[in-house]
Amino acid sequence: MSNKVAIIASNGGVFDAYKVFNIATAAAATEKEVAIFFTFEGLNLIHKQAMHALPLPEGKEHIAEGFAKANVPSIPQLVEMAQELGVKFIGCQMTMDVMGLTKDDFIDGIEVGGAVTFLEFAKDASPTLTF
Amino acid sequence: MQGDVQLDAKGLACPMPIVKTKKAMDSLQEGQILEVLATDKGSKADLAAWADSVGHQFIGTIEEGNLLKHYIRKCSNESIEEKPFEHTVSIDELQSLESGVILDVREEVEYAFGHIKGAKSIPLGELENRINEINKDLEIYVVCRTGKRSDFAAKKLAANGFKKVFNVVPGITAWKGNLSKKL
Repeated sequence: MSNKVAIIASNGGVFDAYKVFNIATAAAATEKEVAIFFTFEGLNLIHKQAMHALPLPEGKEHIAEGFAKANVPSIPQLVEMAQELGVKFIGCQMTMDVMGLTKDDFIDGIEVGGAVTFLEFAKDASPTLTF
Repeated sequence: MQGDVQLDAKGLACPMPIVKTKKAMDSLQEGQILEVLATDKGSKADLAAWADSVGHQFIGTIEEGNLLKHYIRKCSNESIEEKPFEHTVSIDELQSLESGVILDVREEVEYAFGHIKGAKSIPLGELENRINEINKDLEIYVVCRTGKRSDFAAKKLAANGFKKVFNVVPGITAWKGNLSKKL
């Protein structure tokens, strides 16, 4: 059985962020080796400013209340937890170049790499998830 | 009923109960029991699956209104004794026991969630202090979950002058009869 979980985060909404980080922290807490490849809008999830104000889907803004009521941890909290549990964050170099971003625009502790960096990790991972 | 260590995860939503449990478990000694207090309804299935996945023993859950109390025993690759206790009986033989005492040396919480009817509970860690509670003249059938703790206990009893001691193998995990609860 594979002990690795590979995740691709390619969307930048708050729902996407929860899907990515809930699965990632749960897997890491279950002693899996976890890596997340952030690409295109997914880079927002680890962008220093953007991660604090990720948008809810249009027309679903009222759900913000539900998050507060259910006492769900904030995205920055989940990110910190994930890093503490050893989840590896890989930012997509190509997307960063296209968007004019550098490593300094992102939270500390990320790696920057291309598709092959992720593929190398994911080749023997099970499951590989895309959000 | 209490675990050795208690974790308060009340009010926390998924995945926090799991994350907190993992961290708390790291600080436990092998064989100790973690009691997790949670209100997340999903934690019931999640914690059982988590324990199974990482190799700990999920003992059970008690529900008190909205409060869930989960009990998990920390396991690792328990070292196998080089020379097991020589007198053993199969767990199946306890079905037709006519005399003697079944001594259950698992933790109190494990006993509470399911034990063989009539078995006496003395956790392994308390055996030394409570050894006088056991009648030396009777046959003693020592049982635990998988036969490892009971192996220790059987040796301890034999070393203390008990003559008719048997380690029950493999243990409760292979018991085909009903289990009594004491919750």
